[in-house]
Amino acid sequence: MVRYSAQVVIIGGGATGVGILRDLSLRGISSILVEQGDLAHGTSSRFHGLLHSGARYAVKDPVSAAECIRENNILKQIAPECVAATGGWFVQLPGDEVDYAQAWLKGCERTGIPVHEVPLEEALKREPLLAKEALRVFEVPDAAVDGFKLVWENAKSARRCGGRYLTYHRVEAILREGEGVAGVRGENLLTGESFTVEAGMVVNATGAWADRLAASAGASLEVVRDKGILLAFNHRLFQRVINRLRPPGDGDIFVPHETITILGTTSEWVDTPSDNQPSDREVERMMTLGKALLPGIAEKRVIRAFAGVRPLHRSDSEWAEGSEGGRVEEGRGRAVSRTFALIDHEAEEGIKGFLSIVGGKFTTYRLMAEKASDWVAAKLANDVPCRTAAEPLQPELPAHLRRRARALLPCAAAEKTLQRLGRDAAAVLETIARDPDKGQLLCECEMVTVAEVEKTVADEDAHHLADVRRKTRLGMGTCQGAFCTYRALPLMWREGEKYDPLSGELIRFLNQRWKGIRPVLWGDQLRETELTRAIYAGLLDLREGGAAG
Amino acid sequence: MWDGLVIGGGLAGLIAGIRALERGKKILIVSEGVGSLAFAGGVLDFGRVRELRRLEKHPYAYVGEMAERAFSYFLQLNPAYTGTWGRRGSVLTPLGTLRETELLPRRLDASPLFKANKIVVAVPGGLKDFFPEIVKANLQKEFPSGNVRLKKLSVEEFADWRAAGKSIPGTVYAEFWGTERGNTALKRHICEIAGEADSEAIVFPGLPAIGCPEVDEVLAGISLPVVGMTSFPPSAIGLALYESLTRRVKALGGELLIGVGVERVEVESARARRAIVRSKGKETALTAETFVLATGGFLGRGLVATPDDVRETVFGLPLHVPPLRGGKDFLGEQPYARAGIEVDRHLRPCDPATGEVLLENVFAAGRILAHWDPWLEHCGGGVSLSSGLLAGELL
Repeated sequence: MVRYSAQVVIIGGGATGVGILRDLSLRGISSILVEQGDLAHGTSSRFHGLLHSGARYAVKDPVSAAECIRENNILKQIAPECVAATGGWFVQLPGDEVDYAQAWLKGCERTGIPVHEVPLEEALKREPLLAKEALRVFEVPDAAVDGFKLVWENAKSARRCGGRYLTYHRVEAILREGEGVAGVRGENLLTGESFTVEAGMVVNATGAWADRLAASAGASLEVVRDKGILLAFNHRLFQRVINRLRPPGDGDIFVPHETITILGTTSEWVDTPSDNQPSDREVERMMTLGKALLPGIAEKRVIRAFAGVRPLHRSDSEWAEGSEGGRVEEGRGRAVSRTFALIDHEAEEGIKGFLSIVGGKFTTYRLMAEKASDWVAAKLANDVPCRTAAEPLQPELPAHLRRRARALLPCAAAEKTLQRLGRDAAAVLETIARDPDKGQLLCECEMVTVAEVEKTVADEDAHHLADVRRKTRLGMGTCQGAFCTYRALPLMWREGEKYDPLSGELIRFLNQRWKGIRPVLWGDQLRETELTRAIYAGLLDLREGGAAG
Repeated sequence: MWDGLVIGGGLAGLIAGIRALERGKKILIVSEGVGSLAFAGGVLDFGRVRELRRLEKHPYAYVGEMAERAFSYFLQLNPAYTGTWGRRGSVLTPLGTLRETELLPRRLDASPLFKANKIVVAVPGGLKDFFPEIVKANLQKEFPSGNVRLKKLSVEEFADWRAAGKSIPGTVYAEFWGTERGNTALKRHICEIAGEADSEAIVFPGLPAIGCPEVDEVLAGISLPVVGMTSFPPSAIGLALYESLTRRVKALGGELLIGVGVERVEVESARARRAIVRSKGKETALTAETFVLATGGFLGRGLVATPDDVRETVFGLPLHVPPLRGGKDFLGEQPYARAGIEVDRHLRPCDPATGEVLLENVFAAGRILAHWDPWLEHCGGGVSLSSGLLAGELL
């Protein structure tokens, strides 16, 4: 049994959880975050990576829209390395309601979202793949955001001021003491050991799992699990976020990230948080819907399909309004507000020191964390103000570090390394300077050097190849792991004790990548699959079950 | 006007062409790419031929005794290879584990390692995609009674590469060992290892195991067994095999057009007449009596899948297409792998629905055939060689 203690324990290592950890740590409140998997393994990485301007909600959900534009501006300031300020367009196509455009323009104006119209001719010149039938195009400050990176930066920033986090630790019970909570108890999933965190306050930030956790403590809250599927294309098809100017629907957002583009998304209520496998039918539907904005979609290479589960909060009033004999229909998730809710279980059920935070969206994670932290701070009579809206996530990069990176690495690789690692790049660059072999690009798609992977593998938070992937983007590019999986092997080998036997780890990683490729098995991705099987099943003779030969 | 036009210049197409040329036919091979031998590491798997032959519609069921003939035929064609029909040999994978196969370059035969108590792994400096510690640990596991050690070789030739942080591809090393300077260096390194007291066998990655007499000569003078390794793609040995086959085609008077894809073939009353190719922006018609279709599977682009269907790219032939998106385990059964052309006993394309022969003078060979999976059944080389040889007899 391992015992920890803190003033506050936060459950859930998504954007909201790490946001709260950082906020509380900056206020000097001692906090521990407990997460059952790796940080950002759930909804916080399973989305289109859109940093909303709020325009998507301008008509139906002005509260969300106003929150979004405010947070959009803040994140561009405090986390420029996680945000690509691409801008975004709303494109009206023939058949889209004309009245909606008027309502939308009004909504944007009311909520303070800057909009300007782009002349059609210019729009088609700047985005040559866009449907030529476009009628009107408006520009808004949408942006692309790297979910993995933002979550990790919050965690690292929290750690610099005393915050702690435990990954691969599953909470089994919330401990009670009299009328209040006394912490949590659970299991370290890597070692099988049990642990407790003693804390007078418990914050439930488990997203799609929030209702189940609350119920285990005798509290109740209603979470709608709204599954959205996404397709990743292997090109930067558009230079900016492309939305459809109509009431939010399925398959009408394209977001460019680095060298790929993500098409999202759908809205379908599901029963379990782990239901994140896209079906063939959903993929087919996305390809059909995406065609409206991108007519050449069928010829574009899809490298994988994935899905996330949005945890929407449903209050009683919405429940009544949205319910039709309890029947759940596709697309209904959009009728539920995308704003968030704090549920004070002391006020609701008389459980002292227990707070749940649900709903909201990635764009507003910081605001959610601020509100949750305000509640905690008030209970603890801590009056240090929130600093997360002004304090940059990463200390500024010294100019000499950038010069050093450029001297040692190709230009693009240098930039990407700095973006991923920030100041931590210094150690990686010194390794490369000492041993130029380590400057080799292990992942040629995402330009990750041997030295960087080595550093990440050695990191105390990296337990599986997939953890390394989330931090470095290894295996997330065009080859989807065909080459870099093999190349990451020797680096993991040296960390022998920490990993499962190597071929087992290799097969596990290939199967994880396969999960996303399987629904999009056509075109070049099918060619890549045949090649990857030729290498791993043929040449290396790896077989299911882990045994080679 | 050719006697036979072979479409596709991978293993199956080249073997078909070579056999037909030996039979005195006038042959042209047209190929968009260079096949996939570079991915295969230079060994040719036959798999459990007798069992596979019993599977309905498996290519082995059609080629019959041709599998055994293809085995001997290939050995006679490439004396650098070894193998015994009905038995499996062992080679080292790039990770240093043992892998069984049927036809292998003599130089890759790992059997001497079973008898060695002291194994030295040569580690050419900076060799790309080669991980000495892993290879050492795996060898130690495969040969528990032998003591395995690593011996680093510093090769001056590549000092500049190393300083610039570049690794050296196996293909570059293989070529270097064959040059005069490389040869001298190789001799020096190997003699040094052989002279050390604790050496009984040498494992040497990145050796040009076939097609390099200069290296063979050095190794012949060494008293210890020197065992090469298969390598991560691109494989120097696979490329050398490809080159030796294309040289053979030319030596027999065959013609090869590489980098030229067939746009379509004109068909009249169930016979292919003329293949239309596009080269340098111009269309040219090539007329032949018979045709071999060996354009490969999905990787070779003989088959192309879209979200809705699968197409055969040259004739637009109807295909056997299982539901593509199947198996959960990546390395387990994957239905897509069994998509392809169904044929009769003369390898002529048939309609999968009716069994009717669709083209009288076209023979399909290699990966484009339906109902097999080279990766699960470990029979990629065997199916390509035997269907290629049969096609070569029919042309």
